[in-house]
Amino acid sequence: MENVCNLGVNGNNSLLSYITHILHPAFMLDKDNKTCPELCYILGLESILVKVRLNRRGGADELGSEQPVAGFGDWNYCAAKDKVMTPSVRLQEMIRVIRSARTQGEERGIIQRECADIRAQFRQGDNGERSHSLAKLLYVHMLGYPAHFGQMECVRLIASPRYSEKRIGYLGAMMLLDEKQDASLLITNSIKNDLSHSSQYVQSLALCTLACMGSAEMCRDLAPEIERLLRASNSYIKKKATLCAVHIIRKVPELAELFTPTARSLLSEKNHGVLHGAVVLITELCERNPDTLNQFRKAVPELVQIMKGLVTSSYSPEHNVAGISDPFLQVRILRLLRILGHNNETASDAMNDLLAQVATNTDSSKTAGSAVLYETVLTIMDINSESGLRVLAVNILGRFLLNNDRNIRYISMTSLQKIVQTDHNAVQRHRGTIVDCLKDQDTSVKRRALELSLALVSAVNIRSMMKELLIFLSTCPPELRSQTASGIFNAAERYSPSKRWHIDTILHVLTTAGGDVRDETVPNLIQLITTASELHCYTVHKLYRALVKDISQQSLVQVACWCIGEYGDLLLKGECEEIEPVQVTEDDVLDALETVLQSHMSSPATRGFALTSTMKLSTRITDNVDRIRSIVSIYGSCIDLELQQRAVEYNALFKKYDHMRAAVLERMPVMDKNSPGHTNGDTSGEIKEPDPSKPKPVEAGLLAEPASQVCDLLDLLGGTDTPIQPNPAPASTATTTSSADLLDLLGGLEPTPVLQTVTVTVYEKNGLSLKIQCDKQTETEVTVTLISSNSTQTDITNFNLQAAVPKSVQLQMKAPSGNVIPAHGLGQVTQTVLLNNPNKVSLKMRIRVSYSNQGAVHQDTVQIDSFPSPASQPSISPL
Amino acid sequence: MMHFLLLFSRQGKLRLQKWFLPLPERERKKIVKDMTTMVLARKPRTCNFLHWKDLKIVYKRYASLYFCCGLESQDNELLALEILHRYVELLDKYFGNVCELDIIFNFEKAYFILDEFLMGGEIQETSKQSIAKSVEASDMLQETMEEYMSKPAF
Repeated sequence: MENVCNLGVNGNNSLLSYITHILHPAFMLDKDNKTCPELCYILGLESILVKVRLNRRGGADELGSEQPVAGFGDWNYCAAKDKVMTPSVRLQEMIRVIRSARTQGEERGIIQRECADIRAQFRQGDNGERSHSLAKLLYVHMLGYPAHFGQMECVRLIASPRYSEKRIGYLGAMMLLDEKQDASLLITNSIKNDLSHSSQYVQSLALCTLACMGSAEMCRDLAPEIERLLRASNSYIKKKATLCAVHIIRKVPELAELFTPTARSLLSEKNHGVLHGAVVLITELCERNPDTLNQFRKAVPELVQIMKGLVTSSYSPEHNVAGISDPFLQVRILRLLRILGHNNETASDAMNDLLAQVATNTDSSKTAGSAVLYETVLTIMDINSESGLRVLAVNILGRFLLNNDRNIRYISMTSLQKIVQTDHNAVQRHRGTIVDCLKDQDTSVKRRALELSLALVSAVNIRSMMKELLIFLSTCPPELRSQTASGIFNAAERYSPSKRWHIDTILHVLTTAGGDVRDETVPNLIQLITTASELHCYTVHKLYRALVKDISQQSLVQVACWCIGEYGDLLLKGECEEIEPVQVTEDDVLDALETVLQSHMSSPATRGFALTSTMKLSTRITDNVDRIRSIVSIYGSCIDLELQQRAVEYNALFKKYDHMRAAVLERMPVMDKNSPGHTNGDTSGEIKEPDPSKPKPVEAGLLAEPASQVCDLLDLLGGTDTPIQPNPAPASTATTTSSADLLDLLGGLEPTPVLQTVTVTVYEKNGLSLKIQCDKQTETEVTVTLISSNSTQTDITNFNLQAAVPKSVQLQMKAPSGNVIPAHGLGQVTQTVLLNNPNKVSLKMRIRVSYSNQGAVHQDTVQIDSFPSPASQPSISPL
Repeated sequence: MMHFLLLFSRQGKLRLQKWFLPLPERERKKIVKDMTTMVLARKPRTCNFLHWKDLKIVYKRYASLYFCCGLESQDNELLALEILHRYVELLDKYFGNVCELDIIFNFEKAYFILDEFLMGGEIQETSKQSIAKSVEASDMLQETMEEYMSKPAF
């Protein structure tokens, strides 16, 4: 470009000819477009610039005498303005100075000075230096310093008619603006204007910025422009417009329809850039709308043809990458084919041959080839491909697994992970290699191998796989430890060959990675130990030894303390068949527990375990009860409130209730894993189908009993007072009033159950009446009993209740007592619902009732906004 | 779709950042920090892929500079390596034996080249020649004007 500047001196004509001469190849030859806007753009501008300078030399400052080139009025204006130029430090010089700073403080100082300068420049307004200032600011921004004050400058530069300013302005907009800022709204109009600019390079800037940071609003405004540009003849603009369309659809999915018709026609394009964009666009459209997906299934032969063309074409240097013809385009086509062929027989059939061809002929010695092959395998596994092809695909992955390149091995395991559910046996064949990858030095590869190994554990290989996994656990990087541990627990729970093996495995995990297991491990393991009663002696010995060896693994120490407390007598007896007998004295055990209590490594929870365990030992040992008494009393003044409370309570047990001590410190009963404490109410907020096959849990029966007693009596009463009620309305009043009377009667006999419950009718239709009873268990737990009775002359069948509660409330529906309600109010169906309301929100419940009566199916929904509580309804209360 | 592309030095200094999703500044800084610490901690000759949140991270070191990008789960990691390589080739062709300093001192050019290669997180042009040609033509459009302006009046 130096030549061009030198030419400025020579005058207007030679410049024109020179520019035409040197720019010709760049602008004319590669396009057969006869009107070349870029050329005019520069020529028009430059001739004016020269004119300005010539004028200035001649002393004539006015531009009016010169006729500007048609259509470039504003260019003329800005060129004239450029005469005033304030010199400032160049961008590169600033970078050099900043880089020379020796300390952070020095750098900060320089940048503060520069930013002040830049601000001043921005304030000065249009002086030709704005683009440099903004460029400097962008550098400062990259270093992590605040640069938001440049946002408006970006807006101004974008609106500038000069290409150099626009270019930096758009770059700045992409870096400094995000879609939430108001400034980004201001550039919408400039982008709109630039989209129909005569120069394709200006259009390109606008397109690029829109695709990078266009907000939903901007996308809505500009979508028609983009659709127009998609039909442009210029492929340079067309490829950018397709990607803009992709961005618009991602932002505003409902605009997809606008681009669907044009997208199909883009597939006939020869230019790879446009073709690639078209495939991306169609992928986006198909992923969003199943109808569009169906429509584009017709394009499969076309896509196959394009792909065939790429695979079989002779060498073309422009698109060749390591012997593969345009891998970028191939991968995108394969990905689109995967979406089109998924769950569709016809589409899959149409691409089978092509996939086989690509899978066998692609050279995978270089990354580009492997990338295509990898994508092919994914497509084969995801469509309805022939079985031979699937075998080929798994074999390719197997080959990848043996590759020297870690990247390829990683990819192979990622893909095997995807198919391990569907083609389990095929993946199982590569188990040895996968397990070997656990020993790889690379964490990424290890992680993949771990996931895959866990997926491959089965009842057949559990022992050998677990051996490998436990070795892995002891050597693996810390970030993988918790994943490994929970994976091992799951596998052990599913496939453990014996309880002893299961306990051993968990203990092994706890000794090697006790700090990285999840909290529920401890109760789970304790539950497992209690159920394995024949192993109590073995377990307690083993845990005692582990405790003596190491008290740093909190979860292990907790389980050990618990077991010593429970089974201390077995430990002291010292007769254990499975383990080498060691004589343990009472003092040894107490020493161990006291060490745990005193150790600074023990967490408060662990100390709690240890203290309780010590207390429990007081009934399991004979000689050292006084030592226990003193340990417990020491912690009566402990700073930890929880521990103190425990100690004080235990102390009281020693002093005041010594006669009850043995009974209180009995062995814990075997825990049931499915008791309410273990289930988590993850189904809250949705309607839950009661499971009739499940036997009714004991506690639900107990809770429902008093209620049903009352109702049985009510029914008896109903039967005598009002024989058969054809009209349901009076029946309900009769029931409620009589219930109150009856409650009074009952109150004298059996006050306790009635005091807590209040019954309210919530539904009354077609002879079916539904009453609810509320019983507050604790602050957060409420037991609701739903009682349904039938006053019609025929039995109600298929009776079913569904309940929904607000999201934060957990709901647990017990099984109903039946699904048939006998006629004439002769029986009823009760169902208990447990609500847990941890956030204490106002309780609401929606109940859907469905039933059949006299051949008609009814369905209704009842909303209960406030629950009856004994306190708020004194009128129904018995006394 | 690529979510971001970062270039940083062995010392963890950011040299180029391109975001294809609108993210608040603070989150961007957090990602940059996470990426540099994660990638720089990797030992040599390990594989080029990492997992971060629900993104696949693909990185590659060229001389003193790390090229690192974040991909969605459906994207092809091996192809991303090719994309990074292609970008390096483009820079190399433009600057002629590119080094870190070229990118520091002409960072805006590095962005301009990237904008002709990727757009909205997708590849927009698969031919090196076409990209080189359009960058050159845009540069010419800019330079012819700038050079004139920086020339002293005569």
